[in-house]
Amino acid sequence: MLPIILLSVFGIVLLFMGFLKSKVLLLPATLVFILAALATTFMDWGKTYLYFQNMLLTNNLAILFTTIVLLSAFMVVALSNSFIEDEQAQPAEYYALLLFSLVGAIMMISFENLIMLFVGVEILSVAMYVLAGSDKHSPRSNEAALKYFLMGAFATGIMLFGIALLYGATGTFVVSGIKSYVYTNAYGVSLLLYMGIILLLIGMLFKVSAAPFHFWTPDVYDGTPGLFTAFMSTVVKTAGFAALFRVLSVSFVGVYSFWWGTLAALTCLTLLIGNVTAVYQTSFKRMMAYSSISHAGYLLIGLTALGTQTKQALVFYSLAYSLATISAFGVLLVVSRQRQDTNGVNENFDAFNGLARQNPLLGFVMAVSMLSLAGIPLTAGFWGKFMIFTTAADKGIYWILVFAVLMSTVGIYYYFRVIIAMYFREGAAEPVKVAPFYRYVLIAATILTLVLGLAPGLLEGLV
Amino acid sequence: MILSLLIFLPLIGALVVALLPDNQHIPFKWLTLGVAMAELLLSVVAYTQFDQQQAGYQLLEQADWITLPLGNLGVVSIDYLLGVDGISLPLVVLSSVILLIGVLSSWTIENRQKAYFSLYLLLSGTIMGCFVALDFFLFFLFFEFMLLPMYFLIGLWGGPRREYASIKFFLYTLLGSVLILLVMIGLYLSVMDPVSTAVMAGLATDAASVDQDLIRLVQAQLADMHISSSQIVHTFDLRYMADGGNYLPNAFLSGAGETTFWGIPARMIAFWAVFLGFAIKLPIVPLHTWLPDAHVEAPTPVSVVLAGVLLKIGGYGFIRIAWGLFPDGGAQYAQTLAGLGVLSIVYGGLNALAQNDLKKMIAYSSVSHMGFVLLGVASLTSEGINGAIYQMVSHGVLSAMLFLIVGVIYDRTHDRRIDSYRGLLQVMPHYAVLTAVAFFGSLGLPGFSGFVGELFTLMGGFQSLWLPGWLPSVAVSGIVLAAAYLLWSLQRMFFGPLWTRDGVESTLTDLNGRERLMLIPLGLLALLLGLLPNVLFNLSNATVAQWLEKFNV
Amino acid sequence: MQPTQQVSIPELIQQVPLNYYLIVSTALFVIGIIGVLTRRNAIIIFMSIELMLNAVNLLLIAFSSYRSDSAGQVFVFFIMAVAAAEVAVGLAIIVMIYRNIRSIDVGLLNKLKW
Repeated sequence: MLPIILLSVFGIVLLFMGFLKSKVLLLPATLVFILAALATTFMDWGKTYLYFQNMLLTNNLAILFTTIVLLSAFMVVALSNSFIEDEQAQPAEYYALLLFSLVGAIMMISFENLIMLFVGVEILSVAMYVLAGSDKHSPRSNEAALKYFLMGAFATGIMLFGIALLYGATGTFVVSGIKSYVYTNAYGVSLLLYMGIILLLIGMLFKVSAAPFHFWTPDVYDGTPGLFTAFMSTVVKTAGFAALFRVLSVSFVGVYSFWWGTLAALTCLTLLIGNVTAVYQTSFKRMMAYSSISHAGYLLIGLTALGTQTKQALVFYSLAYSLATISAFGVLLVVSRQRQDTNGVNENFDAFNGLARQNPLLGFVMAVSMLSLAGIPLTAGFWGKFMIFTTAADKGIYWILVFAVLMSTVGIYYYFRVIIAMYFREGAAEPVKVAPFYRYVLIAATILTLVLGLAPGLLEGLV
Repeated sequence: MILSLLIFLPLIGALVVALLPDNQHIPFKWLTLGVAMAELLLSVVAYTQFDQQQAGYQLLEQADWITLPLGNLGVVSIDYLLGVDGISLPLVVLSSVILLIGVLSSWTIENRQKAYFSLYLLLSGTIMGCFVALDFFLFFLFFEFMLLPMYFLIGLWGGPRREYASIKFFLYTLLGSVLILLVMIGLYLSVMDPVSTAVMAGLATDAASVDQDLIRLVQAQLADMHISSSQIVHTFDLRYMADGGNYLPNAFLSGAGETTFWGIPARMIAFWAVFLGFAIKLPIVPLHTWLPDAHVEAPTPVSVVLAGVLLKIGGYGFIRIAWGLFPDGGAQYAQTLAGLGVLSIVYGGLNALAQNDLKKMIAYSSVSHMGFVLLGVASLTSEGINGAIYQMVSHGVLSAMLFLIVGVIYDRTHDRRIDSYRGLLQVMPHYAVLTAVAFFGSLGLPGFSGFVGELFTLMGGFQSLWLPGWLPSVAVSGIVLAAAYLLWSLQRMFFGPLWTRDGVESTLTDLNGRERLMLIPLGLLALLLGLLPNVLFNLSNATVAQWLEKFNV
Repeated sequence: MQPTQQVSIPELIQQVPLNYYLIVSTALFVIGIIGVLTRRNAIIIFMSIELMLNAVNLLLIAFSSYRSDSAGQVFVFFIMAVAAAEVAVGLAIIVMIYRNIRSIDVGLLNKLKW
């Protein structure tokens, strides 16, 4: 559990580094800090440890999720060079908050006690509230921060009530304790437990923006500065699903028959709303918000069809999704900043017009990312979907499979709008300028997506 | 080795073209032409190495590719497994011919040559991969990946409504391929690999020592549930999927048909899903609407490849996968399926009659002609299946020729309307002759390939035990319709005094050397196939005879 | 005041049946939810959320005393501490908005469509 301690200390160090006159060091320092945390994460590889008086538990699965989260954070930070140019920005604080939120994410991934789940969620969320409103003078950013804050706190309240009811039913906050309660009382589980499960699930589904608790997502994603949207849609989502997987697969697996139907219905609703609404968007960023809702739906399929290979599917899908999302937002960031319209940054689809002609590399990166999100073969996204679908097939829930597959064809339509804009439309003549390091990050994400698409077996045996 | 070369030569070519600098002086088209000629050579070598008497798969190549552990489901092992038989080899040869002609036809592409030829080569490689892949997953990857280059080729070099046409093409075909994906997963869960299972169950020491008798033994033990589920090795191998003995007794898609949805056995639903997936590609009415749009917007070479080769993948999928893996479905619904085929023939023909755009007319004639393929396959007779394969090859040659003919006139005047021209015979005599050849071949004049294909599919339809006689009788009207729309257009465009709508007579020059180089070989090929149908039938007959054994129950 | 009968706090709590605590805290929680969903003033929404959290605290304490298990009360301290941090951030966000638009009515925040 060294990364939690390290990241907290590093965050404070970064705050102090903010006193330095030069901001040049901040970005490399943050990257080094994240890498250091990543390296220490692997110290526990292959073992299962309980930390901090049985509050946290690390195993290979937790380490893999932590790796995905840290890798996403690394790439997001690496794409943040614009802070240095921006006079208004407070990079030291942003970086410190990002590191703190990573602490929360890791706690959500490896909690053994529901207290830690709560604390982790709050650490992650409170940092994200601030980052959502980091563009202090933009009304959109303000509004996003307020909405995110109110909805997040509301969801936390619901989740807490659920935890309290679980405590009332089982007398413990420990995940494995709840599991043994469920097993010993298999035929007479208290009503409080059922209510607790439902409320806890609602609270968590709020966080991962599953329908019908998704309504804050488009506004918040749209209003938040692009970089932090990328962070939100990858790190927060991955951590949320890791947490959901842990409670469902450990604590509540004994009452699977109680919750799977509800979850299946919500999964379909999420897929439907995410995909269909995304079709009607004119803003790329809002489209990505709905796309993230739809991907929450695919990930939920894995949970609905909880089985032995669910964790592998979740890990692979989260990785594929994070890589593609970050490269998409990476391209959006440079393009929207350099192709401004009257309202400031242009985040609509038409900002991408003719991009492939002027910047073949950016076009290719974006195209691969869209193909991966759409689940076209030979990209990582295809295998993610494939694994998720096989979990459902294995569990025999074919109707959800058919529905998800239909929805994924709807997805093609809106992902391809970007490709159409980039390749088929005429746009601004001057190419978009991209800093070299920025380019390397995008290339790395794209190559990783393609490599995982060609050889998905690379992650074999890790989970 | 030779099949791998067929796939990877164009793929490597695509990569090379993509990595070369975008420079006017680099002869991308010559490079592509070289690759296409090498492909033709390779497919001819494959043809000579192919033993026509043998029914099974030949020129097999196998290697492990992807292994993914999936918990309870065991291990997904996707093999790199290639092979050809009498069904796929004619289509491989056809593809290499049409793709070569397509390169010649691409000579006039001026803007963004590098991207164009790179995508073209990518398309060629995936098409070859589709025809020679024997692993269902590998086939699916090629099948779905093929959409991307096609999408860009239509979307970037197409006509005014190219965005609409290309996304429509993409969405339609993708919807079909996800249906196929679903069935593929279901099949995978239901089928075992008898060789690996024998090794796992300790019945054999290694894979090499497994022979036919041992496979029978393994299948018998599987049927009696003597093999524990942890020892069963699942597979995507199409050869094993086609053998009913390899299906797990209580599996989702097993032959016993215990799993039902709304009272319909899962196998029948799976059959229809796969059928729809390929029917979109073929295309079959009412799933054909993407085809006229795609053809009208696509540039000439892309239309040639689309009509000449891509549609054949639908028919190939019918024979290899839909009917090949679900013979019970094909037998049970033979009438409905043949009915759909006849509907396509008649509806396509009537629509073609109503078109004024020459390209659209030919697109609808494709719908009509591909209906014969479905009729032939659904008849489940030797004549019908052989005829269907023959019709695919014949239509590949003739439709390529027809689209090239449209391209010739469109290049000169940028006008494809039939009623814009009259008396073209006077200024373009060679063009008129070749057009007449293509039209007569297409409408089924004896002596040309179209006649043989249609004759045999119809014979199959009449002889079939599964079909009532009136169905093929109605299909005959398709030939009459074809004669009507083709001869009517020929008469309107070429005879009478010279006249054009926009007064562009001066631009009408006769065929140049390159156009002759494309059209004359195709015309000769159509004639050759029409006069010597045995060239093709010898290839396919043995395989088809073995294929039909599944239906003799 | 009866100094002779010294009652410990858990016993005092247990003089009321557990179900009553459950009902009261559920009522508080529902009032909180209704407040969040219906009120338009950001501060009042925020107060409603605090009400929800306090309903949770009450419930946890009741369960904790009935089960003679300290974990529930520890959790309450965590909730109070974290809620305080949340208040700090939340009020800062509300103040920031007030500076920009001179109002904290959530209905006025319509730069983004819902």
